[in-house]
Amino acid sequence: MTDTVNHLGPTLQDFLDGRLDDTREVEVRAHLDGCPRCRSELEALRWVREVALKQLPGEEVPPALADRVAAALDAADGRTRPAASWTIRWWRWATAGALLAAATLALLLLFRPRADLVKAVARDFAEYSNGHLALDLRSSDGPAVESLYARGGIDFRTRVFDLRMMQYRLVGGRVHRLRGRPSALFAYQGPEGRDLVCQMFEGRLAELPRSVDVHEHNGITFQVYRSGALTLVFWQEGAVVCVLASDAGSEAVIQLAYAKAAKE
Amino acid sequence: MPHSDADERRVRFESLALPFMRALYNTALRLTQEPQDAADLMQETFLRAYRTFENFSPGTNCKAWLFTILYSIFVNQYRQAKQRPRVESLEELEQRFHQFAQAPDPASDMTTVDGWGRRWSPEVERALRQLQEDFRAPLLLVDVEELAYEEAASVLGCAVGTVGSRLFRGRKLLFAMLQEYAHEAGYGKGNSRDR
Repeated sequence: MTDTVNHLGPTLQDFLDGRLDDTREVEVRAHLDGCPRCRSELEALRWVREVALKQLPGEEVPPALADRVAAALDAADGRTRPAASWTIRWWRWATAGALLAAATLALLLLFRPRADLVKAVARDFAEYSNGHLALDLRSSDGPAVESLYARGGIDFRTRVFDLRMMQYRLVGGRVHRLRGRPSALFAYQGPEGRDLVCQMFEGRLAELPRSVDVHEHNGITFQVYRSGALTLVFWQEGAVVCVLASDAGSEAVIQLAYAKAAKE
Repeated sequence: MPHSDADERRVRFESLALPFMRALYNTALRLTQEPQDAADLMQETFLRAYRTFENFSPGTNCKAWLFTILYSIFVNQYRQAKQRPRVESLEELEQRFHQFAQAPDPASDMTTVDGWGRRWSPEVERALRQLQEDFRAPLLLVDVEELAYEEAASVLGCAVGTVGSRLFRGRKLLFAMLQEYAHEAGYGKGNSRDR
C-alpha cells in the first residue's frame, strides 16, 4: 500500500480504543498488515496512551487538604443540622448512655479486624525482612512454589508471578496464615537487595479499611496503604485478595501490581 | 453506628467519594497547574458533591460524577486564558507526527509497546502542561483516569465524537512533543529529529 492510498487516520484510534465493530476491526487489521505508515501511527498513539500517560506520577493528597475537605463537609452538615462535627458527634455518642457506648464498642470491634489485616501484612513483611519469618521452600522456580501450596492444603488457585523482567528474583514461598486464614506467601529480592513479599488469600477488598489512595488500572481496583517506607497494594482476583508489600518505593510497587494483576 | 439520616448520608457519601480524592486532586493539579488552586478546586468539588449528593444515581460511576462537578467548577471559576508560550504551533506539531510515521525505515517497523519499560520522567508532565486545555482534559480523563468516552463527554459537556477527535489530536501532539524523549527511552524506529 502506498502513501497515495487512503490511510486510516482517526480510525486508528477507534481501533486502539476498541471502539470498532468486528467487521471494521478485521478490515483495519488487513490494512495494517500492508501499511507501515498506519502501523507506525498506531504504535505512536499506543505509546502515548499506554506508556507516556501511564507513567505520570500521582501526588499524594496533603493531609492538611484532606482535613480541609472534612471540615468543609462538617460545616455543610452544620448548616442543615447544628452541631454535626465529628467532635460533637463523638461527644454525643460518649454521653448517650451505656447502651450506645456498648454499641460503639461493638462497632469498633467489628472494624478492628479490617485494620488488622493490613497491619498483619505489614508485620509479615517486617518479620520476613528481619529474618524472623522463614520460607518453607527456597526456590526461584515458580511452579515448584505453586506446588508447595497445593501440597500444603491451600485450595484456591495461586499464581506465583514471574518478575524477572522487573529485576525481581523469586526467593521462595511459605504456606502461611494471615489472621487465621490460609495464605500463599512468596518473596522476591529486587534491585539493591529490596524485599518484595506477595500474599494471596481468600477474601474481599471490602474487608480492608477504607483507603484514600485507590487506583483504577485496566478495570482493576487497587487499594494502596502506606506505613513508613512500606507500601502495600491490594487487589482482587476472583475470590482471592492479592497484596504486594515492599519498601522499594511507592510508585515501583504500584507499577509491579499493575504489571501482574489479572482481571477477575 | 450512624444514628441519624444525616450521619448515614455522610457515611454513604464518604464511602463512595473519598476513594477518588487522590485522582481528583491530581487532575485538579494538572488542570489548574497551581497547587493552591488545585486544593481550592478539590475542596469546592467535594463540598458541592456533598450538597447535591441526592443527584447522584446509585450504581452509576461515582468517579465520573465527581469529575463532572470538578470540571464544571474549573471551567466557571479557574479556567483563565493562560496561553502558555509554545515553541511550535499545533500545525507544526501535527506535521511532525505525520513525518515521523511516513519516514522511510527499511530496517524495521516501529518497536511495539509490549516490553517497554515504565519509568517516570518529568518530560511527559512538562509536555502535558504545554498542551492546550481542550486536548489536555480528554487525555487526563480517558488515558490517565480511564473514563469511557461517554463519561468523558458527560464531564466535558460535549459530544462523544468531540472527545474522540480531541483525544486523537491530543495524543498526536503529545507524541510529537515527546518524540525525542520516546526515542531516548528506547522507543521508535530511529528517525527522531536528532538523527
